Amino acid sequence: MSAATASAPQPVKLSLPLVYQQKLFEELRNEDELVILARGLGLIRLATNLLHSYDAAGNNLIVIVGAEDRENAWIGEALAEHAAISMTPKARGLTVVNTDFTSVSQREKMYAAGGIFSITSRILVVDLLTNLIIPESITGMILLHADRCVATSLEAFILRIYRQKNKAGFLKAFSDNPDPFTIGFSPLATMMRNLFLRKASLWPRFHMHVAQALEGKKKAEVIELEVPMTDAMKEIQTAIMECVEVSIHELKKGNTGLEMDDWNLDSALLKNFDVMVRRQLDPNWHRVSWKTKQIVGDLTVLRGMLQSIVSLDAVSFLQQLDTIHAAHSPPPGSTRQTQSPWLFLDAAQTIFDTAKKRVYSSNQKAGPDSNIDSLRPVLEEQPKWALLAEVLGEIDRDLYFEPAVRDDSNGTILIMCSDTNTCRQLRDYLQTMHVRPRTEKRIEEFHDPEGDKPSGAFMMRRKLRNYLRWKGEFAHVSATLFSENQKALSGAVDPRLAQSKSRAPANKRRRVRGGGNAGAAPGRLENGSIGQFFEKPSEVAELMAEIQITEEEAKQKDDVIADPLEDMDDYYQMYEMQDLVVIHAYEGDQDEHVLEEVKPKYIIMYEPDASFIRRVEVYRSSHNDRNVRVYFLYYGGSVEEQRYLSTVRREKDAFTRLIKERASMSLVMTTDAQGVEDPQEAFLRTVNTRIAGGGRLAATAEPPRVVVDVREFRSSLPSLLHGRSMVVVPCMLTVGDYILSPEICVERKSISDLISSFKDGRLYSQAESMFQHYKSPMLLIEFDQNKSFTLEPFADLSGSMASVSAANAGANDLQSKIVLLTLAFPKLRIIWSSSPYETAEIFERLKTKSPEPDPIAAVRAGLDNDTLAEEQAFNTEPREMLAVVPGVTPKNISNLTLATESIKEVANMTTEELAPLVGKEAARKMHGFFNKDLIDES
Amino acid sequence: QALPSRSSGSSILVSPRQKGNPVLASLKSMPWEYSDILADYGLGLTTCALFLSLKYHRLHPEYIYTRIRNLQGKYNLRILLTMVDIPNHEDSLRELSKTSLVNNVTIILCWSAAEAARYLELYKSYEHANFAAIRGQQSTSYAEKLVEFATVPRSINKADAVALVSTFGSLRHAINADPEQVSVISGWGERKVKNWCKVVDEPFRVKK
Repeated sequence: MSAATASAPQPVKLSLPLVYQQKLFEELRNEDELVILARGLGLIRLATNLLHSYDAAGNNLIVIVGAEDRENAWIGEALAEHAAISMTPKARGLTVVNTDFTSVSQREKMYAAGGIFSITSRILVVDLLTNLIIPESITGMILLHADRCVATSLEAFILRIYRQKNKAGFLKAFSDNPDPFTIGFSPLATMMRNLFLRKASLWPRFHMHVAQALEGKKKAEVIELEVPMTDAMKEIQTAIMECVEVSIHELKKGNTGLEMDDWNLDSALLKNFDVMVRRQLDPNWHRVSWKTKQIVGDLTVLRGMLQSIVSLDAVSFLQQLDTIHAAHSPPPGSTRQTQSPWLFLDAAQTIFDTAKKRVYSSNQKAGPDSNIDSLRPVLEEQPKWALLAEVLGEIDRDLYFEPAVRDDSNGTILIMCSDTNTCRQLRDYLQTMHVRPRTEKRIEEFHDPEGDKPSGAFMMRRKLRNYLRWKGEFAHVSATLFSENQKALSGAVDPRLAQSKSRAPANKRRRVRGGGNAGAAPGRLENGSIGQFFEKPSEVAELMAEIQITEEEAKQKDDVIADPLEDMDDYYQMYEMQDLVVIHAYEGDQDEHVLEEVKPKYIIMYEPDASFIRRVEVYRSSHNDRNVRVYFLYYGGSVEEQRYLSTVRREKDAFTRLIKERASMSLVMTTDAQGVEDPQEAFLRTVNTRIAGGGRLAATAEPPRVVVDVREFRSSLPSLLHGRSMVVVPCMLTVGDYILSPEICVERKSISDLISSFKDGRLYSQAESMFQHYKSPMLLIEFDQNKSFTLEPFADLSGSMASVSAANAGANDLQSKIVLLTLAFPKLRIIWSSSPYETAEIFERLKTKSPEPDPIAAVRAGLDNDTLAEEQAFNTEPREMLAVVPGVTPKNISNLTLATESIKEVANMTTEELAPLVGKEAARKMHGFFNKDLIDES
Repeated sequence: QALPSRSSGSSILVSPRQKGNPVLASLKSMPWEYSDILADYGLGLTTCALFLSLKYHRLHPEYIYTRIRNLQGKYNLRILLTMVDIPNHEDSLRELSKTSLVNNVTIILCWSAAEAARYLELYKSYEHANFAAIRGQQSTSYAEKLVEFATVPRSINKADAVALVSTFGSLRHAINADPEQVSVISGWGERKVKNWCKVVDEPFRVKK
């Protein structure tokens, strides 16, 4: 690693070989700024170098905000490495503070000792508010993922507290995602205000220094290979697109009041289309019909399928389709209205049919008297496989004929793909591509060179065997799961049985599409949806026989699914890096690490990834003596290709817009001597007209105080309360979310919370316990800032008698549940707030003239006297899961969670063990739920 | 519309003051009759409602206080059915929130006459209902429970849940499975596997 001398107080060794990296580093050392770097240009490396330069100086307290787990791990590692290389005695490395595993007193000690900390935002904000970490003592803050720092976010809250109390410390913000900075009105300026920064530094790929550094002599050699998709794949892709189109059309039809000009097929291909639809619908999410929600869900599924068609092999794709189908098939007795509309399309039929035909198809057996047709495996292979094998062969020849000039890189071939599943698939393929499943005896062909052409036949046959076995079991499982469906299916789904008598055998397997009798085309249920398809056992047996394990296959060792690594010591040894093929999945910034470690000579990008190309460029340019050749595979005319191109384009556009905005940006001085202006100051501050003459009447009184449950820090309200100059006291509360006065206790519910807490009965018990401890409990129904402030659904309100009758008390809409709640608790007050900003104002008004709340009393409320506060804190997700289990009630759940450790433990307990905790009947139910065996039963 | 035969107590009592209110036109699925009561709507022995349009409230802010005072502390549950018919409702709602605390009224917001009518109908028809619907889950079928259980961890969807049990046979096996085994299931990417395995093994209680 080449060293660059920095203007740091103590000379440290850095690993920033490229010019633009060094320039950026200098900039960052000298002033506070926001850096937006194109993805793949080494953001984390820059951050770690910067951190190291501070770390080496020692005697500091630096906080990293917004880092993810993976980044933490890498930063820690890199810091340790740096410290070892530059041999700085004062460097202390990184301390990670995440989920409540470190106790309060421990944290206090750690903070006092100083060093570099990466702290989860939620913990950091509480620690800052409770002065556990003293803002004045912080040397500086590093904010990663600055794009997430919107005005109401926790990160912005943290920065505000920090800047209010500490004006000298540094603040550097990083982001490698320019997209969010281009949404909304003057987004960059707004963001800069939130960050309390005045300078933005933009580094797109087309930045002069970057381009110079990466496009010099040491350019990486890239070979693009376009692979055509097979006809079947194209057909399926087109069919899926058709389904997407129809779904979008349905969406538009069902939600006429909404802005959706850009919902079209083109944008549907984008990576974030479903997120986009969701965002547009979000303001009205509590009002849209059930059907709309379903279609939005469908879109996600369909887009997933678009991805799978190129990434999964034919058999796995079929298997996935089967699962999707089973999960989405209609509940018994349902009508068309309650189902996914795309399942009714001919295109859906095409998807399922073609996917099946890629795996096996029927043909008529030769023979005069036999008119039973049989299934034959087809097993279409992914076109990329053959190409991959070809490329590997070429590399092989290359290595052989012109032994490479000795250089620093290993001879390793690195194959990059999108996820671990693809990794596994490729590994399987490469391992077995030269194994010949010789079904027919063709001994004379044994030495035919053609026969040695690599193929995935062996792997595919194995997959098909597994699939058929799985399908058999799956029939059972879905029979048990959806038994009612099955009854309907048996009538309609196997039309071949019923029709075989009347129909000519040759036609038997041909599905009628479009024609036939209208409502009951074969393969469709009575209501027109597509039925699950199960082969006849005899056919399956035949197919199984067809793909019997042949001798050659038997020689291969079993498929290792999960390597337990038990005999590590026996088998473990170092491989020679020279002749390895390494398959790896894209993992963001981690990939740089992979490149550095593997030092590959050849890189095969099995799937396109824009940022990885840049990483290779950076890698190549950073090392004089390492040659790299990149093969870049993609399916021509596929969604994969379009997606890749559009991400590149979008990033470029985003940067261009940012540069424009920066040029015309008028900056407000945010860190002036008068103190910090809050980002939402203009919005939040209103002149209190009741204080006549502007005199500070309340100067002598205590500042208003609100006790807030620590879990509430996920929402933006605490930040806004703080912005209205109330003292926010974070506490672990058992009852209520916000305590405004000794009498007023508020439970905050967003609309989605409200719906879910009605559903599981949580709200009812929360209200009960609030009434036990407070005189005036209030329920705050808080709408989102951007969401429409109404509960009125889009559906019309022509309520019939049935919808309001008492017998129908389980009615599902929100209104009826609110009615029930107020009837159950007549003294419960409801606050309706159109946004968190409003809530803050309402709180302020409610608090006037009432005494301040006592945090200690608030914490104690609702706790049993003999249990400690600590024990009352639960992890929400496992608890939520447990609450769903039959037999578990809101009453016995606390008992259960105190006596057991985790879901795993509960699942493995016997009825006898469970009985003392929850009672006999419930124990039986729980045990039954976990142990119900879907394969052997039924 | 022909109303069903009236029996006393089963219809919504409406004060003659409300004559001409469009809400009355939308009261379709419950019988109602004029009656001389203190409140605007009588929805049962202990429940009553006052109707307030924010448009009117802005012009006559003192009106509603008089009305509340006139209730003389009668009725256990006193609804202030507020129609949001102005765009800048913030100030009024802020004030009403405080009022509700001081004067013992419960605010219910509605956005149209139809919705207001629905609230009135619901209050009347639920007069004697039990609260089972909001007290928690009623039992459902195994499949539904299963899906609900397995989809609690983030990013796991319905199809994943079905794939999970169909691979492992029972939930217990699925819970005991290694991450490696789970990741073999089609459709289960890295993130899903990680979330699932983490939640299943995560302690219920937060360690201090």
